[in-house]
Amino acid sequence: MTASLLAFVKQDPRRLIAVLVGLLLAVLMLPPLWILLQDSVTTTDAMGDVTGGTVSHFVRLFTDKDALTSIWNSLVFAGGSTVLSLISGGALAWIVERTNAPFKILAYLATIISMGTPYILHVIAWLFLLGKVGPLNDVYRLLTGSTNNLFNVNSMAGMILIEGFLWSPLVFLLLGATFRAANADMEEAARMSGATVFDTLRRISLPLAMPSILALALFVFIRAIGGFEVPALVGMPGRIYVLTTDVYEATIVVPPDLGYAAAFSVVMVAIVAVLLFYYSRLSRNAEKYHSVTGKGYRPRPFDLGRGRWIAGAMIVLNFVVVLLLPLLTLLWMSLLPFLRSIRWSGLAALTFKNYRTVFSAPGYVELALNSLVVAAGSATAIMLITALAGWIAARRGPGGRILDQLATLSLVFPGICLGVAVMEVYLRVPLPIYGTLWIIGIAYVIRYMPYGMRYVYSGVLQLHRELEEAAGVAGASAMTTLRRIVAPLLTPALVAGWLFIFLIANKELAIAVLLASPGSQVIAVAIFDQWVNGQGGELAAFGLVWTVLMTGIACLFFAQMRRGATDVYGN
Amino acid sequence: MLSVHGLTKIYANRFDAQAGGVRDVSFELPTGTFFTLLGPSGCGKTTMLRCVAGLERPDAGRIAVPDRVLFDSATSVAVPMNQRGIGMVFQSYAIWPHMTVFENVAFPLRVAKGRRLAKQDISRMVDQALTTVGLADYGDRPATRLSGGQQQRVALARAIVHRPQLLLLDEPLSNLDASLREEMRVELRRLQQQIGVTTIYVTHDQGEALAMSDRIAVMERGRIVQVDEPRAVYFRPANEFVASFIGAANLLTGLCLGDVAAGALGRVRLADGEAIVSQFPAGCTLGHHATVSVRPESIVLTAGAATGDNTLRGTVSAASFQGGSMRYDVAVADRTMRVIGPADPVFPPGTTVHLSFPATASVSVG
Repeated sequence: MTASLLAFVKQDPRRLIAVLVGLLLAVLMLPPLWILLQDSVTTTDAMGDVTGGTVSHFVRLFTDKDALTSIWNSLVFAGGSTVLSLISGGALAWIVERTNAPFKILAYLATIISMGTPYILHVIAWLFLLGKVGPLNDVYRLLTGSTNNLFNVNSMAGMILIEGFLWSPLVFLLLGATFRAANADMEEAARMSGATVFDTLRRISLPLAMPSILALALFVFIRAIGGFEVPALVGMPGRIYVLTTDVYEATIVVPPDLGYAAAFSVVMVAIVAVLLFYYSRLSRNAEKYHSVTGKGYRPRPFDLGRGRWIAGAMIVLNFVVVLLLPLLTLLWMSLLPFLRSIRWSGLAALTFKNYRTVFSAPGYVELALNSLVVAAGSATAIMLITALAGWIAARRGPGGRILDQLATLSLVFPGICLGVAVMEVYLRVPLPIYGTLWIIGIAYVIRYMPYGMRYVYSGVLQLHRELEEAAGVAGASAMTTLRRIVAPLLTPALVAGWLFIFLIANKELAIAVLLASPGSQVIAVAIFDQWVNGQGGELAAFGLVWTVLMTGIACLFFAQMRRGATDVYGN
Repeated sequence: MLSVHGLTKIYANRFDAQAGGVRDVSFELPTGTFFTLLGPSGCGKTTMLRCVAGLERPDAGRIAVPDRVLFDSATSVAVPMNQRGIGMVFQSYAIWPHMTVFENVAFPLRVAKGRRLAKQDISRMVDQALTTVGLADYGDRPATRLSGGQQQRVALARAIVHRPQLLLLDEPLSNLDASLREEMRVELRRLQQQIGVTTIYVTHDQGEALAMSDRIAVMERGRIVQVDEPRAVYFRPANEFVASFIGAANLLTGLCLGDVAAGALGRVRLADGEAIVSQFPAGCTLGHHATVSVRPESIVLTAGAATGDNTLRGTVSAASFQGGSMRYDVAVADRTMRVIGPADPVFPPGTTVHLSFPATASVSVG
C-alpha cells in the first residue's frame, strides 16, 4: 500500500500537492454549500441539531406574497443597476480609451479611489445627498417653497441609482480593457469607407464588443443581486426588501429563522449558479472575438473634433458624480457635530472633534488593525493555496479540473448567504473560532478564493510553458522547477492578486455583517453599526481617513498591474 | 547511439478529424549523427522529440541510449525527464527572464542530481559553454537584455553545458530573421561537429534540413516516410509526398510501357501521349500506373527544337526574375510545369519552348 502510494507520487510529484491542496479546498468550500442545502430542508431544535426533514421553508417561500415580492424586487434592482452602470461606465470607458477627449486622468483617479473606498461609505454619502436633509431636496424646497421632497431616496429608484454608481467604476475598468484590446484597423476601415464616428461606433465597435459587454452585464447582475449594502441601508428603511435583506432579517430575528434564511439562500445560489453558467459561456465567446494584433500595436483614438470637449465634460461630470460629491459629502458630515443640511450657517459649526475622536479613541485603532490583519491574513492564505492549485490547473496537471472547480465554487454564494452558511458551519464544528476574527478570515478565504485563482491562472498562462519544460529537461525536479522557476516568475501575479483581495475584503460588508461580534469588528460592519446608531459624523471622519489609507494601497495595485503588463516573460 | 523502436503516441481528435501524434516510429542513430525530423506542421515531429526528451509519455515503444533504457512500454520503464541527461533547445528558447545569462547556463549544473559541483567547476564549465557559442563576456547580463540571436546562443549553451549524450533542437531557428537564420545554420552545424554530440533537429524548413543534416527523416501524419541522406531525399524521393514537400517537384503521371526491374530505367507514357524515360527505384509492371517526379532546376528550356528522350513542348505562361535565376510556369498539354532556369536567356510569356531533362533527373515515386 505504502509502496504503491510512493510510486504514485513519484511518477508525478505534483500529485502529492494536488491531493493535499484538494483536501484543504474541499474542507473549506464544501461544508457551507452542504449546510445551506441541509438547513433548507430540515427543521432544527434550539441546539441546532436536526430534528427532521421538511419542505415547509420552500413552501412558505413560494406561497408568501412578501417573499415573492422580494424575488421580483431583487431582479428589478439588479437589472436596473446593471443597465445604469453599463451605460455610465461603458460610455466613459469608450470615451477614455478610444477618443481624444481631455481630462482622461480624472476617470482613472475616480476608479483608483473608489477601489479603496468601502461600498458602505459611498452608500451613506449618497443617502445624504439624495435624502431628506440633503442638498437635492433642500435646493428643491428652497426654490419652490414647498415642504415636500423632490425625490424619495428610500425607493427602488434610489436603490438602482446608488447601486448603479457603485458598479460604474468596475464597468469602466473592465470594458476599458475590452476597448483597448479592440483592433483599431477595423474602426479605421469603417472610417475610410465613409462612416461617421457615430456610425462606426454603432455598426463596428459595439457589435465587436457585444460579447464582452454581455458577459460583463451578467457579471454585474450577479454581483448586484447579491449586493447587500444598498438594500440594507437604502431599501430597508423604505420597506423595500430584496432576497439579501430577507436572508439578513431571517438570521438576526430572535430566535433566528435559519431554515427560512437557508431556503432563501438556496434560491439565490441557484439563480447565481445558472447565471454563472451562462457567464462562463459568454466570456469564452468574448475571448474568441478579441481581435488583438501582434507586436508594436497601438490603438489609435478617434478624433472627435469639437465634440471632444463635450466628451471631456462627461468625464468631468462622472468624476464629480461618482467621486467628488460623495467625498465632499463625507467631508461635510465629518466636520459637523451632527447631520444637517448644507448651509453657510453650518460653516460656523465646523469642528475637528470627530477627527480627534477617531485618532484618540482606542476602539478605532483596534478596529483598523483588526480589518488590516484579517484582510492581509486571508489574502496571504488565498495566494498560497491558489499559487499551487492555479499552477496545477493552468498546466492541466493531475486533478487540475477538480482543483479549479473546488476553488471557484464559492462564486455561487452571494456574500450574505456565505455569511449565513459559514456561521452555521462553525457553530457546529467544535472549534472555538465563533465570535473571533478567525471566522471572518475563513469566510474571506472562501469568498475570495476564486479571485486568487483567477490571478494565478492567467499569470501561469502568460508564462511560456517551455520555461518550465526547459528546467525539467535541464535536470530539475518538479519541486525545484516550482521553487526556482515558477514561483519567481509568478510573483507579479501573486502580488497583484494579494492586493486585489486585500482591497476588496476591506470594502465589502455582506460577509462579515453576520460574523462580526463586538470583540471582532471589521471596518465595514463598524460603519454599518454606527450609521444605524446615528453616529454619522464620526463614521464619516473615520471613513475618510480609511479611504486615504486604502487609496494608497489601491495605487500600489494599479502600479503592479501596469508593471505586470509590460513585463514580457518568455512570450 | 540512440535507438527508437515502435514509438507510438496518439492524441485524441481535437480540432478536426485528423488525430495528431506519432505512429510506430523506429530509427537508430550512430553517435555524432545530425539527424533531422522534417515535415509539415502537425506531422508529429515535435511530438517525437518531446517523447525522447521525456516531456510526453508515449503510448508504446522503446527509447534507449547505449548504457540505459529511457523508456520501454513493455517493461514499464519511464525515466523522468530530469534524469535523462539530455540537452534541449526550445522553439521559444525558454530563457528564464529572472536570471542572468550565467545563471541560466549554470542551472543544469546546479540542479544535477547526485553530483554537487564545486563553485569553480561550475564557473569553468559555464564559461566554456558560453565561449563555445561565442558569448564569452555575456555572463553578467540580465537575460531580458538579449537579442533573439543571443537568446538562441544562451539556450544552446545551457543545453550543452552538462555535456549531454543527446542534443534536441526544436525548430531553434524559426524565430530568427532570415539573414541570421542562414548564419546560424552554418554555426549550429559547426558547433555540433565540434562537440560531436548526437543531435535530433526538428524543422519544417527543407532548406535547413538539407543544409545541416547527416540524415533526414521525412514525416507525414505521424509516420516516417523516408530516412536518407539529404541528397538522396532530394533526388530520389520515396513517394509523391516527399517529392512535393521537398522542393516543388513536377509530378507527371502515366502508364509503364514495360516491365522494369527495381533500380533500372523504364519508359512511361504520359496522359498526353508523350513518352519519357525515368528511373524506377522500386521497379514497375507493364500497364501499371506510374508517377514521376522532375525537379524544376533539372529542366533545360530551349527555344529551338530539341531532340532526345525526355523532351516536351510547351508555352511559357509566367516568368519571374528571382535574382540568380528565372522561374517559369510552362503550360505543357493540360498541365503547368515549373522550371528554374538561368537568369539568361529570358523566355517571355507566350514563347513556345522545349523542355528537356536527363533520365537520371526523373524518378518514379509510385
